[in-house]
Amino acid sequence: MELAGPEPDGGDSGDGEEGGRRRRGQGELATEVLTVLHGAPGPVTASWVQEQLGGELAYTTVMTILSRLLAKQAVVRSRVGRAYVWSAAADAAGLTARRMRRLLDTEPDRDAVLASFVTALTPEDEQVLRSLLNAADPPQDGAGRGGGR
Amino acid sequence: MGFFVFLPLVLPLTSWPIARLAEHHLYPRNAVRLLSWIGVTMAVCSTLALGLLFVVGTAQIPGNPLPDSWSDPEIRTAVPFHEEVGTAAVVGLVTVLTACSRSLRRHLRIRARAQRALAPMPLDSDLVVLPDPEPYAYAVPGVPGRVVVSTAMMDSLDADEQRALLAHERSHLLNRHHRFLLAAQLASCVNPFLRPLQKAVGYATERWADEEAAGSVGDRRLTARAVARAALVTRSAGPVPSFASFAAPGPVPRRVTALLSPALGESWPPPASPAGLAAMVAAVGTAASAVFALNAAVALLLLVKAATPW
Repeated sequence: MELAGPEPDGGDSGDGEEGGRRRRGQGELATEVLTVLHGAPGPVTASWVQEQLGGELAYTTVMTILSRLLAKQAVVRSRVGRAYVWSAAADAAGLTARRMRRLLDTEPDRDAVLASFVTALTPEDEQVLRSLLNAADPPQDGAGRGGGR
Repeated sequence: MGFFVFLPLVLPLTSWPIARLAEHHLYPRNAVRLLSWIGVTMAVCSTLALGLLFVVGTAQIPGNPLPDSWSDPEIRTAVPFHEEVGTAAVVGLVTVLTACSRSLRRHLRIRARAQRALAPMPLDSDLVVLPDPEPYAYAVPGVPGRVVVSTAMMDSLDADEQRALLAHERSHLLNRHHRFLLAAQLASCVNPFLRPLQKAVGYATERWADEEAAGSVGDRRLTARAVARAALVTRSAGPVPSFASFAAPGPVPRRVTALLSPALGESWPPPASPAGLAAMVAAVGTAASAVFALNAAVALLLLVKAATPW
C-alpha cells in the first residue's frame, strides 16, 4: 500500500507517542490527520491540525505525519507568510491518476502489458493521419472537430 | 542428431513472410492466433534444441551436476563441433532463461502496479476516468479488467468516438489480448528470429480490437476517426519518437487506413495466394521445427540411456 489511506496499515507498530497513552499505528494517525484536513474549511496550519486532534499529539508528531503524507502526495503544502499551510490533496480519483501517471512515466515497456489505444506518432504519421481524417470526414466538418457528428 | 539439432534454432526464419503478409491478408483475429501459435511452438522447439546442446555442452565442464555418464564421448560426438557449440549453448540457454524471467517479472510487476493504483476506484463500472491533463487510454488486464481513460482523452473525443474507444479497450480485455502479447514477447526473448512475429502480433491485436469496436458501434469510419483523433492529441502532448523520417507509416495510420477500407473477410486466404503460401511456409517451418527438436531429443535420450550403466 503506498498510501496510509483509510485503512490502518502499520498495525500496532505505532509511533509510540509520549506518555502512557494508547499506542496507535502510523496508519491510524495518518488517517486521522487526513480526516481533519478533509474537514478543514481550507488550507490550515499544522498547529490547527494539532488542535483539532484534541491536542494529545505533540506538534512534532503532527509535522512528521504531515511530511510523510506529503511524500506520498496525499497532502499538498503551500507557504503563507512564514508558515506552511496544508490541505488534503487526494480524492480517490486524483490519487489514482497520480499513481497511474507515475506508473506510465516509470515503465517504458508498459505497452506490451497494458494495451494502449494509440501509440505516439512521427511528424510524417501525423500528416498522413490528417489527410486521412480530412478524406474520411464529411465535408461540413472536414476542417476539424466541427462539434462532432 | 547431427546437424538437424540446429534446425529448430534457425527455422523461425520461415515465419517472417507470414508476419509481413498477415497485416494485409489475414483477418486480425486469425492473424493473432496463427502467429501466436507459430511463435510459441517455435520458441518451445528452439529452447528444447538449446537444452539438448546444453546437456552436451556441460559434459566438458568438470564437476558439473549432471550424471557422469552424460559426458560419454559418444554423446559428445553426436553433435558436430561439440565443444564450441556446447559452450555457446550453455551461454545461450542462460541468456534465454534470464531474458524470459525478466520479461515475465516485468509483465507481472506492471500489471500489479496498475491494479494497485486502480484499487481505490469503485468497482461498479469497468471504466475508470482519471483527472489527468495528459491524454491516454489503456486496458488494464486483471480481475476485474479495467479500462483507464484520462479526462484529457475523453475531452478530445465526441460521444460516439468515446464509445468506439471504450469498445476497443473492452475488446482487449474480453479477448485477453495481454496473453497473446506476453506469449509473443516471451517467444521473441527465446529466439530473436521471432521478433518480427512479436511486432506482428502487437499490431494484429490492435486491429482485432479496432474491428470489434467498429462492429460494436456499427461504423468503421467513426472508429477510424476515433483512432486518428486520439492519436493526434497524444502526439501533440507526448514526446516525438526519434525514428528515421523516411520510415514507412507507423501503426496508427495503417490502422486508420484499414478501417477506412472495406472489412477483410474472416475466411482464410486461398492457398495459392502469397499470404496462403506464406502461411503454409510458416506452418511447414513450425512442423519441421517440432519434428527436428523431438527427433534430436529422442536421439539424445537413447544415447543417454545406452550410456547409463543402470
